Amino acid sequence: MAERYSSFTPGGTAWFLQRVTAAFLIVVLAFHFFLLHFVNHASEVTLLGTQQRMDHIGYFLTMVLFLVAGAFHGVNGVYNALVNQGLSGTPKKVVLAVLSLAGLALVAQGTYVALVMAEMI
Amino acid sequence: MSTQQQEPESQESPQDPEMKGTESPQQRRLREKQEGMVEDQAEKEAEVEGETVHLKVFRYDPEIADKQEPRFDDFHVPFEKGMTVLDAVMYARDEFDSSLTFRHSCRQAVCGSDAFFVNGKQRLGCKTQISDLQQPVRIEPLPYQEVVKDLVVDMDHFYDQMHAVEPYFQNDDTPDSSDLEEQRQSRENREKVKMSTRCIWCGACMSSCNIAAGDNEYLGPAAINKAYKFAMDDREPEDVKEHRLRIMEQEHGVWRCQTQFSCTNVCPKDIPLTEHIQELKREAVKKNLKFW
Amino acid sequence: MSQSYNRGLIEDFGRWKEFSAGMWAWIFHKFTGWMLIGYLFTHIAVLSSAIAAANGETMMIAGEQVNAYTGTIQGLEGLFIIRVLEVGLLAVAVFHILNGIRLLMVDLGVGLTAQDRSFYASLVLTGVITVASVPTFLSGVGL
Ligand code: HEM
Ligand code: SF4
Ligand code: FES
Repeated sequence: MAERYSSFTPGGTAWFLQRVTAAFLIVVLAFHFFLLHFVNHASEVTLLGTQQRMDHIGYFLTMVLFLVAGAFHGVNGVYNALVNQGLSGTPKKVVLAVLSLAGLALVAQGTYVALVMAEMI
Repeated sequence: MSTQQQEPESQESPQDPEMKGTESPQQRRLREKQEGMVEDQAEKEAEVEGETVHLKVFRYDPEIADKQEPRFDDFHVPFEKGMTVLDAVMYARDEFDSSLTFRHSCRQAVCGSDAFFVNGKQRLGCKTQISDLQQPVRIEPLPYQEVVKDLVVDMDHFYDQMHAVEPYFQNDDTPDSSDLEEQRQSRENREKVKMSTRCIWCGACMSSCNIAAGDNEYLGPAAINKAYKFAMDDREPEDVKEHRLRIMEQEHGVWRCQTQFSCTNVCPKDIPLTEHIQELKREAVKKNLKFW
Repeated sequence: MSQSYNRGLIEDFGRWKEFSAGMWAWIFHKFTGWMLIGYLFTHIAVLSSAIAAANGETMMIAGEQVNAYTGTIQGLEGLFIIRVLEVGLLAVAVFHILNGIRLLMVDLGVGLTAQDRSFYASLVLTGVITVASVPTFLSGVGL
């Protein structure tokens, strides 16, 4: 069972980050829902309103961090669920690559949109 | 309905003079059979009076033509106060169908050989009261292990996982035997590992685990609990503990646990398995954070 | 092992009536997690209309000429089905948050013996919060 003795920790870091992002998401997701459905109604959202909110650097950074945390948490969650079901070998590597690319694309596109909303580009 | 074998395997009679004269239940069954004392099962069941228990027992035997297709057999055994599931299947075997096969030994929740799937839950036959169950009592072999015959499952994979965690005390630095014959453990430390030491290797937990079912390499609750017992033992040196955590934090170790509590719910020895697995996860994370 | 019999997935979904609290919590958490990540992708796609809007694209909504972002969002929000789906999303998110807190507690080893009750509490609370939010979510939309 030599493979059991490797010194790195597959899973351990990801497990820990999944919990850390979860703790962060509790706060931000609740805030997000509250702000955009109860304080401002979603049906009354306009480009102007969005731009005003995104002009605050704190709000802008929170939203980008929200995106990164959510993307990692969600994509890692899906990957984990598949490994739990016994995914292994080449399919596992392929799934990891596809999910990572999807997550990166999500973060890239989301950040681009956020920059546009904040009128930074 | 009954599937009586004509030629049960014969056993040599005991050589030990002390044992001569006493008759084991199996020998009695064989003798009765030869003497034609075993009546038809239907006849026997008709004789049973008073309260009976209705059992539905899983039957399968690859070596017997009419048992190759798995099925359930019905048995009606007389109820007695305090009767366990194991008592009931033993009665069914001794009185109705001697080919009914299952493992058992101690009859007191110590040997761990009679975990069955009873009314949809992994339970220890000898520790489960018939009076606590709804009838008919449906008795099947443990899920997710291959069935060898009737209620007997192949335990090899379970034992492999148990051995994979090095379930033995490791300390090169033992005290000189001239001044100490025992390696004493503190009371507090003993208390900490107390529950984890109770495992009887019955396999109920592994069989209840949805993740172990999907991921064949997952160590499973019992093996992780076994590792916990040693990792938390203060008498093992720090580097051995680290080595144990390294085994635990492999991809198919503790991280696969999804805290479904299935194992904790079925463990006949009430070991808080989920709690132990969670503690090892935290220990592994702590160790790695220290590393950074 | 040629001489043994594999019964396949005995305990799986065919036996769902026998699942315990922890198992249901796992299934619901999984389901809600997948819904949320699915939604996140959709969400960013919809919000990407801000890029078109910044390039000066406009569209007609309720007889008015508005920018592409405002128009897309208000067009969607004007649909009854979208409002219903939003209530569903809220329920999914609230359950995932509440059960997520429960799981974090379990990870910290807090209140393990109450894990079944905390799951039922998450369910009930999700129901209450969702029902209480329906008026807000459905305000100002016709069938
Ligand atoms: C708001 C607070 C949130 C909390 C407290 C939370 C908590 C958790 C926790 C603890 C897990 C780990 C389950 C496990 O591995 O045992 C998890 C899984 C997951 N979460 Fe979240 N989460 C939150 C938000 C989100 C969001 C916003 C998304 C979507 C982007 C998401 C998607 C997922 C997915 C896909 C899984 C994997 C589910 C599975 O096992 O199939 N979660 N969540
Ligand atoms: S931990 Fe409990 S259920 Fe699992 S093998 Fe040991 S005694 Fe049996
Ligand atoms: S017969 Fe030994 S544990 Fe049940």
